Amino acid sequence: MIKLSTPEEVAQWAERERRERSKFDFTVTMCAGTGCQTAASPAVIEAMRDELNRLGLHNKVKIRTTGCHGFCEQGPLMVIEPGNIFYRTVRPEDVAEIVSSTLSNNEVVERLCYVDPVSGERIATESDIPFYKAQDRTLLRQNRLVDPCRIEDYIAIGGYSALVKVLTSMKPDEVISQIKESGLRGRGGGGYPTGRKWEQCRAAPADEKYVICNADEGDPGAYMDRSVLEGNPHSVLEGMLIGAFAIGARKGYIYVRKEYPLAVEHSKKAIEQAVEVGLLGENVLGSGLSFEVKVARGAGAFVCGESTALMASVEGKVGEPRPKDVHTVEEGLYGKPTNLNNVETWANVPGIINEGAQLFAAKGTAKSKGTKIFALTGMVKNTGLVEVPMGTPLRHIIFDIGGGAANGNAIKAVQTGGPSGGCLPVDKFDLPVDFEALSEAGSMVGSGGMVVMDESTCMVDVARYFLAFLQDESCGKCVPCRIGLDRMLEIVTDITEGRGTMKQLDLLEDVAETVQIASLCALGKTAPNPVLSTLKYFRPEYEAHINEKRCPAGVCRALITYSIDPEKCTGCGACLRACPHDAIDGNKKELHSIDQNTCQKCGICRDECKFDAVLVE
Amino acid sequence: MIKYLSLTIDGATISVPEGTTVLDAALEYGICIPHLCHIPGIEPIGACRVCLVEVLRNGSSRITASCTLEAKEGMVVLAHSETVLKARRCVAEMLVAEAPNSRAIQDLAVKCGVTEVRFPFRNKDCVLCGRCVRVCSQIWQAQALGFVGRGKDRHVALPFDTRPEFCKRCWSCIDICPMTITPCNGPMVCGEEYLCAQCASQLSMSKGTEDTCSWCRLGEGFQCSRRSQ
Amino acid sequence: MSAVQYPAVLDAVEGCPADLIEVLQDIQTECSYLPEDALRAVSEKLSVPLIEVFRAANFFKAFTLVPRGRHLITVCQGTACHVRGASRLLDAVSGLLEVSPGETTGDGAFTLEAVNCLGACALGPVLVMDGRCYAHMTPDKLRRLIARTIKQDEEGSAND
Repeated sequence: MIKLSTPEEVAQWAERERRERSKFDFTVTMCAGTGCQTAASPAVIEAMRDELNRLGLHNKVKIRTTGCHGFCEQGPLMVIEPGNIFYRTVRPEDVAEIVSSTLSNNEVVERLCYVDPVSGERIATESDIPFYKAQDRTLLRQNRLVDPCRIEDYIAIGGYSALVKVLTSMKPDEVISQIKESGLRGRGGGGYPTGRKWEQCRAAPADEKYVICNADEGDPGAYMDRSVLEGNPHSVLEGMLIGAFAIGARKGYIYVRKEYPLAVEHSKKAIEQAVEVGLLGENVLGSGLSFEVKVARGAGAFVCGESTALMASVEGKVGEPRPKDVHTVEEGLYGKPTNLNNVETWANVPGIINEGAQLFAAKGTAKSKGTKIFALTGMVKNTGLVEVPMGTPLRHIIFDIGGGAANGNAIKAVQTGGPSGGCLPVDKFDLPVDFEALSEAGSMVGSGGMVVMDESTCMVDVARYFLAFLQDESCGKCVPCRIGLDRMLEIVTDITEGRGTMKQLDLLEDVAETVQIASLCALGKTAPNPVLSTLKYFRPEYEAHINEKRCPAGVCRALITYSIDPEKCTGCGACLRACPHDAIDGNKKELHSIDQNTCQKCGICRDECKFDAVLVE
Repeated sequence: MIKYLSLTIDGATISVPEGTTVLDAALEYGICIPHLCHIPGIEPIGACRVCLVEVLRNGSSRITASCTLEAKEGMVVLAHSETVLKARRCVAEMLVAEAPNSRAIQDLAVKCGVTEVRFPFRNKDCVLCGRCVRVCSQIWQAQALGFVGRGKDRHVALPFDTRPEFCKRCWSCIDICPMTITPCNGPMVCGEEYLCAQCASQLSMSKGTEDTCSWCRLGEGFQCSRRSQ
Repeated sequence: MSAVQYPAVLDAVEGCPADLIEVLQDIQTECSYLPEDALRAVSEKLSVPLIEVFRAANFFKAFTLVPRGRHLITVCQGTACHVRGASRLLDAVSGLLEVSPGETTGDGAFTLEAVNCLGACALGPVLVMDGRCYAHMTPDKLRRLIARTIKQDEEGSAND
């Protein structure tokens, strides 16, 4: 591997890499992100490799395995250049045809083309796909162009040129000015102005400082950080190097949750390669900057996404937050000034330095600048990662990009911001995704999770789900979070099981207020948001559960009964076989019945029945 | 040279050495801020959230625990504002609903203005204040017990539930525990728990100095100015 | 069972308290749980008070103090998976194998865990078994997967 000793050598290497790439007739890019891997993309990649070798084409066709492209529902994904041909749900059996038709004869394999679910049109090129077209994929675009395990790929697309610019022509204060001017705010959920954070950390007097990348991403429903770190780890490293230079830090950590083994692996590999070529370590590119990075793994605790808990975990201690009367930029890891930023925040830095703060600030709203990646999931047609300018209306993301309702049920709400956020009803969908706008409405942008819910979702159950999650993940140190959330869960569970009273709703709001004010850390302080937002916008559902002992969405198990319709049942026995609780009885070709004492209301029988004979009341 | 600074708590401007916490400053001057997990002279952890105060700065206010808040020059603190009183009352209500059988917790609840408990009573014998853990690690440096488990499962335990040989058998953990003070009428009957408010009336009847709360038997006695109801 | 494996892990570690979480992760991977004597050894080797080692072992979900089954089934209960019916997967498993999350079957074959998000949210409901990720899971597919696994185990032990 090459060893770089001066900044000029970076650009020279990039030139060489680009020349290498142009030697190939075709480049076949295949997604090997976690999502596509579950759909067996490695098998497709292997099949492609074998086929090309077999035909002796391996010198003419370059295979590039990349990280997540974000269009996960359509995986395994394949893009062929030149021509920008886009194939989806590719299987190993399809490879031979792809090679013979597209690579050898420039013909498109129609059946592998994406079909737009709204218009029914077959689309052959990636750039024409509405899902991608409607986005501004400043960050995600790069995932398509690099193999995360090859630093050469990152160099070829201009990687580390921002670092070169900083090291050769900027002073730390100038770097901080640029970041401040860009208006970049923390992408992990806090939304704190990044430039100001760097400035405060720089100003804190100490002999040792740290920078940390928070890749704990514990919000259920969020996987943006996973994709960026898995797919383009060098963008994060470059950001951290620039940050370390600006702040005066010599050591850094990337804290990755252990549930992301691929992200851990790719981060470690990226660090190894950067060290090998001299972009990390002592005297980087001869500039005098020394910076080393280590990967620290989470061990299964959502609370470790909180900065003080994260730092405790890096120090080898239990992940309990500490009060933040003194901020971590003054006293953080090992008591030293520490600048912690989210993966996406770090990844945005090289672009801001290279393109200038103005370009970044030109996108978005007055107070929320740049683009943000959202994980659009739940009951929409197109699920996946969506990168749009801040200020884009929710409606545009859910309907225009997401394609609207997935299966005929009307969309009812969108949950943003994970367990710290809230649920917003359809009449709030014109709100822009902007830090202030969503907070005012009772939710938050958060880390970027966006779960769409329809009529089949019970909002009281959603509140209960989040309370149960937070109560499980609470560290337990402080009374309001440990006991308060437990009492709130007690009340909401009573409501979902038909024991609720209107007086309890008042108590619920009272406790929620105390938990918000009195909790020690942000986990506790934001924990009541799902409950409060569902109470605000979906109060009729709560009241139906309490006053009528009825769950309008037909979800809360204690309030529904499953039975078999004698008119429709054919006695096929599918439900009997499927029931995991042995609650169904009946003879072949005769009416089956459900034993109400054993039935757990799981709904598996309804899924299995082909005759619509299972009734829920 | 000890450097002093001045701050204002509940309208009273007081002067304390640098490095003093707001709670210590208040208690020193007889401004009674109720507290549970605080032990004089030991590192605070801010876990019980009873000693909450409101800190005013630049037109905005912040609620935080006074035991972990270091006093700063010119700080303006409200220890008995509406917001703080309400939050404190609710926190104390949660505590007494968990452990109604403890005289110290009942005392605390009454002191914080709890008159009714709206949660079903549970009957725990530990409120996880952490006093035992901290006295063991900081005074005796034995670290024989600690908080184990997360969230609802958090409990005080010995390593592998066995008393280690390095436990000094000093029994400070028992001495300092707020749950070991004998309840006034003996243990409450399960299902018939109630907040009798009798403990607070013993304020004027307690042994020792007048105006010393029975509550302060937990730590050191101090002069407590009785807050008018 | 584990007496020979973990000293190798401990040997590779410098005696620094900050390494505690990483070391415990390595032992958990090697031994599929954290044996008591391993934890005592870690306390000595890294100069961390025993109670702190014990605390860490109990705080983080990645660690178990009791051995896990041969096959670990982790069902994702994240929001996106939840609205797509992930709780039915838990029903299916508990009905079939009669275990709740956190428990292991009597014969030591399967351990069921519920995890709060695996990060493959667009493909829910998701579960991981034996390190392999399965997307768009349904109770039916899960039933068949478990049946296949049991069959493979039987064939495997028959061949021994």
